[in-house]
Amino acid sequence: MRMSFEEISHTADVKIRVYAPTLETLFSETFKALMQVMYGPNRACGILREIRIESSDNESLLADFLSEVLFVSEVESLVFSEACIRIDGLCLTAELTGEPFDPVSHSGGSEVKGISYSGLAIIHEANGYMLDIIFDV
Amino acid sequence: MLEGVNRIGVNEWEVPVGYVAGMRVPGRFFLSESLGKTLEQGAVQQLANVATLPGILKNSLAMPDIHWGYGFPIGGVAAFSVDEGIISPGGVGFDINCGVRLLATPLLHKDVAGRRDLIDELFRTVPTGVGAKSAQKVSPQVLDGLMVKGAQWAVKAGFGVERDLIRCEEGGFMKAADSHAVSVKAKQRGMPQGGTLGSGNHFLEIQVVCEIFDPGAAKAFGLALGQVCCMIHCGSRGLGHQVCTDHLKILESATKKYHITIPDRQLACAPITSPEGRSYFGAMAAAANYAWANRQMITHATRQVLSKMFRIDHEEMPLIYDVAHNVAKMEEHVLDGKHMNVCVHRKGATRAFGPGSRDLPSDLTSLGQPVIIPGSMGTSSFVLHGTQFAMEKTFGSTCHGAGRIMSRTQAKKNLNGREIMANLLKEGIIVRAHSENAIADEAPEVYKPSDEVVNVVHEVGISRLVARLLPLGGIKG
Repeated sequence: MRMSFEEISHTADVKIRVYAPTLETLFSETFKALMQVMYGPNRACGILREIRIESSDNESLLADFLSEVLFVSEVESLVFSEACIRIDGLCLTAELTGEPFDPVSHSGGSEVKGISYSGLAIIHEANGYMLDIIFDV
Repeated sequence: MLEGVNRIGVNEWEVPVGYVAGMRVPGRFFLSESLGKTLEQGAVQQLANVATLPGILKNSLAMPDIHWGYGFPIGGVAAFSVDEGIISPGGVGFDINCGVRLLATPLLHKDVAGRRDLIDELFRTVPTGVGAKSAQKVSPQVLDGLMVKGAQWAVKAGFGVERDLIRCEEGGFMKAADSHAVSVKAKQRGMPQGGTLGSGNHFLEIQVVCEIFDPGAAKAFGLALGQVCCMIHCGSRGLGHQVCTDHLKILESATKKYHITIPDRQLACAPITSPEGRSYFGAMAAAANYAWANRQMITHATRQVLSKMFRIDHEEMPLIYDVAHNVAKMEEHVLDGKHMNVCVHRKGATRAFGPGSRDLPSDLTSLGQPVIIPGSMGTSSFVLHGTQFAMEKTFGSTCHGAGRIMSRTQAKKNLNGREIMANLLKEGIIVRAHSENAIADEAPEVYKPSDEVVNVVHEVGISRLVARLLPLGGIKG
């Protein structure tokens, strides 16, 4: 299965469709989509942060992880580029790498206000995973 | 019009019980035939989903700017019985008390026409866009006071004049605010962002009154033909977003705990009287107060710019009114002849209280509440007034804007920010933003024509036209 994300038409907000071969890559691709929506494509590595999340199901685990990314990114003024994710049952550990927010290179996007549960369902098929997710902008 | 929807008036449509399983009341929305061509099935489905929630009264409603959102549709209004009903962040949204205010000035069109320096100075002074931080970081103690007293805190701190407060819904703060129900994380996000505009559809715009429909009401509101005004659209920033995120999680568990069946996880909810429901309401009210303080701080910054450039006093720039778009409030309404306390959710809708209602400034009691409807950066904005008919029909609610018709994906693909700015400039409208994408995202073409939307609410009678304003320039998030 291909690994990618694409923006799907949604009137008010941003809807993202993601395909990935594993649950971990599904999460990391969705994370990249979130960062791209917010800060555009020019994002570098360097500063490391770790996030640990525990939730009640895979969809909540993803929403909680992305909400935590929004929080860390905003309060620490960090723009992330990559996430190395490990999922053990309903526990997630993510090592994020990024750089300080720079108004010149990171102002091309739109602030994401929240991760919506509307229509959020992770589908596991024979050849991988897919999901649709709405970011409130 | 979409299949399964019944016409019940010239601009009024019903979504019958049964459209989705479990509906307790019918859905109702207000839309002209022509605006109906852009209505998405997803929006109607969301309107019907709201009708399944426990304790909903009369109808699940939507205004003519209805479009597909998450949880409630944008433009959605629903009232719930305080004793038997629920409260849901899905009926408020992440940007709690995103709202709009209109500031009058003594300036005329000729004073500001073509003044790029004014727009540049506003852009320098008011932090906008992704990652923007305020020059005035508040301490945790100050933030607590801000969340409890909202615009009143701001005015006492020097960001405004006393009269501003009587021109805000609720006097600029909801008394139910509970800062203890706001997480440490939300507070961390709120401390550096007071007085920032944000991004997306938020803006600060210089406008001119170009048409008066109701001279009596316009005069009472303080509006005159040719007068320059300033419109400010923003919300509760990261603090409000975090309050919604935190309480959605709590209310998801509460939905199961109280055995409530919901058709969409974003409609997670709890009984209004439950500890979880009360906690969300207290936190939401605190975030709403943050938004009022935020708009008040931006108002002060705007007055400072105008005062310095045009040598006018802050008192010469009175607030016409401030309205909330995304909020849940406890209000008294009359149902079947009986006065009832209900919890009204407005998600992308504006309160439009009619004459004689509580919470109106004493000089406007006989007229009804001023209603401010922003257009897009190239189209007209409008001032209307609330009506008794709105009290009877829509729990005193009307539309909140033009309503999007084009997705952001399409906007980015089909529209060019630089061209849009050049075209607007030909019409005398100067726009500044940190990115061209932000301009394309919010181009006039992505919205329904604002005049068609307000004509529907005027014709239906849930608010009545007072004045039209044209944009002269603005700054975008």
